[in-house]
Amino acid sequence: MVDMGRILIVDDTLFMRTLLKNILFSGGHDIVGEAGDGDEAIAKYQELKPDLVTMDVVMPKVNGIEALKGIRAIDPNAKVVMCTAVGQEQMVKLAIKTGAKGYIVKPFQAPKVLEEIKNVLGS
Amino acid sequence: MSELDAYRSLYIAESRENHENIVKNLLLLETEASETAIAEIFRSAHSLKGMSASMEFKGMERLCHAMEDVFQEIRNNKLSVSRELMDSLLAAADEIEAMLDDIEAGGPGMPENLDEWELDLKRWLGGGKAPVTEVHPGTSYQEKAESGAGVIDEPKATGSRHYLLSVRLKDTCDNPNLRAMIILQNLEEIGTLGTITPDRSVVEDGDFNRQFEVEIESDAGIDAIRAIAGTTDVLSAFLSDRDAPGSPPICLAAAGGPPPPQEEKKPARQLDKPDKGREVKNIRVDISRLDTMMNLVEDLVINRGRITEIAREHQIKALEETLSMIGRSVSDLQALMMDIRMIPLSHIFNRFPRTVRDIANREGKEVEFIVEGGDTELDRSVMDGLNDPLLHLIRNAIDHGIESPDVREAAGKPRKGTLRLSARRDRDNVIITVEDDGQGIHVEKVKRKAIEKGLISAENAGNLTRDEIIDFLFHPGFSTADTITDISGRGVGLDVVRTSLESLHGTIRVNSREGEGTTFELLLPPTMAIVTVMMVRINGRRCAIPIHNVVEVAGLTPERVHFIGGRETVVLRDEVLPLDRLGDMFGLSPSTSILVVLQYQNRKRSIAVDEIEGQQEVVIKPLSKVVGMVRGISGVTIPGDGEVVPVLDVNSIIKET
Repeated sequence: MVDMGRILIVDDTLFMRTLLKNILFSGGHDIVGEAGDGDEAIAKYQELKPDLVTMDVVMPKVNGIEALKGIRAIDPNAKVVMCTAVGQEQMVKLAIKTGAKGYIVKPFQAPKVLEEIKNVLGS
Repeated sequence: MSELDAYRSLYIAESRENHENIVKNLLLLETEASETAIAEIFRSAHSLKGMSASMEFKGMERLCHAMEDVFQEIRNNKLSVSRELMDSLLAAADEIEAMLDDIEAGGPGMPENLDEWELDLKRWLGGGKAPVTEVHPGTSYQEKAESGAGVIDEPKATGSRHYLLSVRLKDTCDNPNLRAMIILQNLEEIGTLGTITPDRSVVEDGDFNRQFEVEIESDAGIDAIRAIAGTTDVLSAFLSDRDAPGSPPICLAAAGGPPPPQEEKKPARQLDKPDKGREVKNIRVDISRLDTMMNLVEDLVINRGRITEIAREHQIKALEETLSMIGRSVSDLQALMMDIRMIPLSHIFNRFPRTVRDIANREGKEVEFIVEGGDTELDRSVMDGLNDPLLHLIRNAIDHGIESPDVREAAGKPRKGTLRLSARRDRDNVIITVEDDGQGIHVEKVKRKAIEKGLISAENAGNLTRDEIIDFLFHPGFSTADTITDISGRGVGLDVVRTSLESLHGTIRVNSREGEGTTFELLLPPTMAIVTVMMVRINGRRCAIPIHNVVEVAGLTPERVHFIGGRETVVLRDEVLPLDRLGDMFGLSPSTSILVVLQYQNRKRSIAVDEIEGQQEVVIKPLSKVVGMVRGISGVTIPGDGEVVPVLDVNSIIKET
């Protein structure tokens, strides 16, 4: 059985967070927290120890890649799923090499997002 | 109605913030090569693009994508910031705003000439070469991947087994290369990879037909490999055991085949679980909801008043006590509502740097625009009415105030003029100043014009004070500019500014020194909804007078009243004030004993009242459209006892004199 997972959503726009949150809710996941930038993401990870993090790439201050590194430093087994959009392939490649476990593509399609989250949680 | 409509208002609100951020940073970028500004614009354009794609606003997505591309090049030093580029970008930003307006109005945000807008930005790409033809983001990638390390680890001699994994990805997979990378990366964690076909760098670049094979040596077992290979976007995955030649390949994943075990879908759990750890510190609320709430609070006040009366009538002591508690809660609620409605002035201040830039460019002037105190808060109702007057004053300052660079130089001033817009809270008021270091107001010129326009005779003009002459500027239709410009001319002048401010219960003052500059000072109440009034009775009826109009209160004795020119006048400390008994409004009172002196701008007059009940903070409600405008009454208020009390419109009463 795959745990439905406690998820931390990281994105600098409330809009995207809301959209993603609703998708994840609809899939039965628990959203334990949200972060608007990389610094916050690392702090929230430390505090909440979520099962999975969805990580936006472009964010103010500390970007998604740096945040991913920060989180992996806390927990080398952290499951981080990158949120990618057109034009961010290089960044996501870098993220994967840094240890990202999955990626979801904006604009989000609920079934695809849920499938990926489930797969990463189950891996 | 699309399910996305639920997100529309959030989309609009956040998109506007991003748009504002783009404009703000574009202007910053024009003055200094700021890396932060570039990063900020890139981020905002990127966010806008992402949100728009999610909302299926294709036009916005395309334009923002183009803008993002431009900034990518700027960020990579492939493109330098020029005036022309800035014009292009600011124009695109304007278009974004127009599209947002359209979307907010329910439209698709898809202008007919979108292609032109897009091309206008794309021509900057590749160092300004021919326009890039890719117009459908999401179908192809322009970028060429950096060559990934094609080095394959030598298989280590261990006791583990050798496999060959063949993976085929679905056609619907968005980024096959990323998916393949994740699979390879995860395999590396449980074993050692051998030959990858096609080559790993080719796979990473995406130059493969969604199929790849990888040799792996691992002791983790088939299930571990299945967990990795049977992931998202995988159409099929087969594993051959190299250490058992002749054995058939094992199917690890197959779309359409037996689905991998799936747990039952649980219902969404957000309802029955406490929101531990989920911290939402801010929410966005439609302002009309706040208005509705405010009205409900007012209704509550009225009905509390009625119940209080009933309690008093029937002498129910316990009820009265409870009601006084409710009264306190209601007042707190009212205060809280007022507080929630407050928004920082930066809300409108942020739009002005752009305006200043445009006007200055058009007028050939150099202007340093300084904005201070944007965090000062005002009620939204006041804020709404403030944009136009401020815009007008700013235009005026650049158009008529600040001189052209050459003229300034000749006068020994720096070529660049300074325009300062600042706000601060001063006790019960908010003071906003618009200050320029331009040529100031030519008092003589104003005087000549006033005589010319027949506003005053040449003889009388000599007796006027400086302030009185400057006051002519606020006279309807008065304009000293010799030519009417496209910007601040058109016969609409400072009179409109003053009228707008009056409707916000504010005042405006000018201070100008010839050759040194002009300062406009706007005095505003932070909120229009709550006003302190003096409650009086005239002919037995209650009436509220806004306290800011009351100068003083004095006893009214018959010997104070004189008839001058056929009308009643009061002499108060050598000052002659017209007396109005407001008989046409309230009926003539037989027992007036108190004189209330009212002031509006520099003019005073007095009214006679029976008694003064006290001072009170009240909510003023405008008269309904059914009643329409009533002379001398600006609205009604309903104090705690539930009686409907008219509020005196002192401005109109004095103006009529």
